[in-house]
Amino acid sequence: MLKKARKERHIWLDIMLTLLALELMSYFYYGIRSVVLAAVCIVSASAAEIISIRLMKRRFSADDLTCTSDALIIALMFPAVMDYKIAAVASVFAIVVAKNIFGGRMNMIFSPAAAAYVFVLTSWGRKLLQYTEPHVKTGIFEKPEVLVNSASHTFDLTGTFKHSDFEILLGNFSGPSGAVSILLLAVAAVVLMFRRSISVGAFLGTIFGTVFFAVVTPSVSSKADSLKYSLVTNMVLFAAVYIVADKRIAPKRDYYAFFYGLFIGVFSYVIVLTGAKENAIVIISVLFTPAALGFKNLEKHIENAALEQADDALINENAVTEEGIIGE
Amino acid sequence: MNDRRKALMGGVLGDNVVLSGLMVISPVIVCGDTLKNAAALVYAFSAITFLAVLISSFVPQKLPYTVKVILYAVIAAIIYIPVKFASKQLYPESISRIGIYFPLLAVNSLIVFQTEAKFFRMNKRDMIISLIFCILGFDIVMLITGFLRELFAYGTINNHIVDMNTLTDGLSKPFGGFIFLGLMCGAYRFVRNAVQKDKSEVRSDTDVSYK
Amino acid sequence: MFLINDLITLLAANLILSRALGTSTLFIAAGGRKNLTATACVITFFTTAGSTAAYFIDKMLPSAVSDLRLLMYIIVIGVLYVLLLTAVYYISRPRFEELRKYVHVSVFNCAVIGTLFTINERASMNGSSYDLGDYAAAGLEAGAGFIISALILTVAYRKLNSSKVPSAFRGFPAMLVYLGIISMAVYSLK
Repeated sequence: MLKKARKERHIWLDIMLTLLALELMSYFYYGIRSVVLAAVCIVSASAAEIISIRLMKRRFSADDLTCTSDALIIALMFPAVMDYKIAAVASVFAIVVAKNIFGGRMNMIFSPAAAAYVFVLTSWGRKLLQYTEPHVKTGIFEKPEVLVNSASHTFDLTGTFKHSDFEILLGNFSGPSGAVSILLLAVAAVVLMFRRSISVGAFLGTIFGTVFFAVVTPSVSSKADSLKYSLVTNMVLFAAVYIVADKRIAPKRDYYAFFYGLFIGVFSYVIVLTGAKENAIVIISVLFTPAALGFKNLEKHIENAALEQADDALINENAVTEEGIIGE
Repeated sequence: MNDRRKALMGGVLGDNVVLSGLMVISPVIVCGDTLKNAAALVYAFSAITFLAVLISSFVPQKLPYTVKVILYAVIAAIIYIPVKFASKQLYPESISRIGIYFPLLAVNSLIVFQTEAKFFRMNKRDMIISLIFCILGFDIVMLITGFLRELFAYGTINNHIVDMNTLTDGLSKPFGGFIFLGLMCGAYRFVRNAVQKDKSEVRSDTDVSYK
Repeated sequence: MFLINDLITLLAANLILSRALGTSTLFIAAGGRKNLTATACVITFFTTAGSTAAYFIDKMLPSAVSDLRLLMYIIVIGVLYVLLLTAVYYISRPRFEELRKYVHVSVFNCAVIGTLFTINERASMNGSSYDLGDYAAAGLEAGAGFIISALILTVAYRKLNSSKVPSAFRGFPAMLVYLGIISMAVYSLK
């Protein structure tokens, strides 16, 4: 149990470090506003966690700090100029409604950040999908003067992406404050995979599903471009690392997790392609929660069957040994 | 308060039809987004349910269960006609918004199932008291839901604008109704458990179940 | 690709996730594999056969007396109810007692009557182009939607009733919130 708790904390620490790196990049592009937004999310999520844990008559422990990583994921999926009140409501929704009502971190069903994102999308969709350009720094209490659609939105509708590969790698294009730094996300994915802090199967499944469909049914005339843009737009990489491959949600075994990720990758690609639905992967990951639960139930059945088989084998072995002793 | 009185009046607090028994929840989830809709539904539900259960109580109990259930539904469907006619005069705007949920009130669990399982096992006087409290339980939940969802989703109270900065549009949608009702059920149980100090029983006795 | 889009459309048109019709019945159906199969089969029978009968009612009923529609639907469902129980009695007499409870619980509820009204609503929007086949197909679709929703709830049933869930939210309230979040995702795909 202690080992499990320690492992949980290490995972949280790894995730937090990579998220902080993304937050740093966001600060570089959007200024202090993005940092304050992250702080608002973290403070409101922590307050919600502490209060709801008190109401659940449990003690707040270091493990409950996972709420901060969920809050940071939410902040990084938002535009840097997002209304603070909405960010706070989203964080509270993530912690209270999508997590603690179902029993908290011991009984996770949904990815809190993904559920909160979808909640904001349905209630304040316009504010969620309007961004400032990179390097446009908005003051803490200033209202942004010019808001633009994301580069993903333009790509989904027109099939054009007017940014160089270098800009793409560095995240120098309009979009969610933390989900566009592709190079950093790629490094984070590799690090987290090697440290087993994310579900490798789910991550690879999502990427494989997206890549496979991007090649088979390209969204633009060039297959290479289709492959490239399908990964860098619509928060695919970000969601694959921090939402789909979330170890608390994805099936345990990499084999099942791969298929879970694969379905999400394929479905979200098709929905973006046919309906130009921006950031569909986050919605699909919420919608596929029952699939993850189904896989987990299957894993449990297999584990139980294996245990029963082992027990039977042990009983038979003992019976044979006893017979041998009696025979002697 | 003695046990008999508690059982009769439980429909409001102790064993609320909506929050505890999860009956008649579709109209609450979908149409309970404004106070006006809520008022129209309260009127329709109260009238249809009260009259239907009262008239159904005269159906001979010796008849087979299947026949009785069909008769209860038919009685409710007949009562629905004048109630709908009156609603058109009283709540002309809400009727179109409520749409198909209006006739669905006539096949609510209180009429179709609870008559046999609960009401017709009581004497007439107790049945009427219990029925009134069950209906009141629904009415209160419906009005609270309508009031709060209208306030947070549209920033109005009974169509009068209130100074609200951030409106949560999602609350007016069916998914908002699901989540809101789930939270309300949880809050109701939390309070009920705290008052009764009986945490062992979390499921309602009146939940919809197989006969 | 079209299959995926069709699946999403089916989800978006799901009467439980989009219109909350038959939620209470769903909670019962999701309680176990046996409940799910039996209730889903009976509901699908009532929605399909009921919508087929509703076609004739809608065609014959003058719009001036449209308020009689509910009564007509209830009579039709009542007849189907008796027919189904009779059929179950003669087909599987030893299991009649066990099976009839599924018929009782699936007959007069929002899932069945709501489906008939929804189809009627859809038909009046489409005019005369909505024929008998469309009615039956829509009824079948509603049954399939019920099965999908029940499956969605069944896979989470153990978690939603787990002792780890706060006692105030264990069971129905957690199920409502769970369905609400899934319904929210479906809504945002529209």
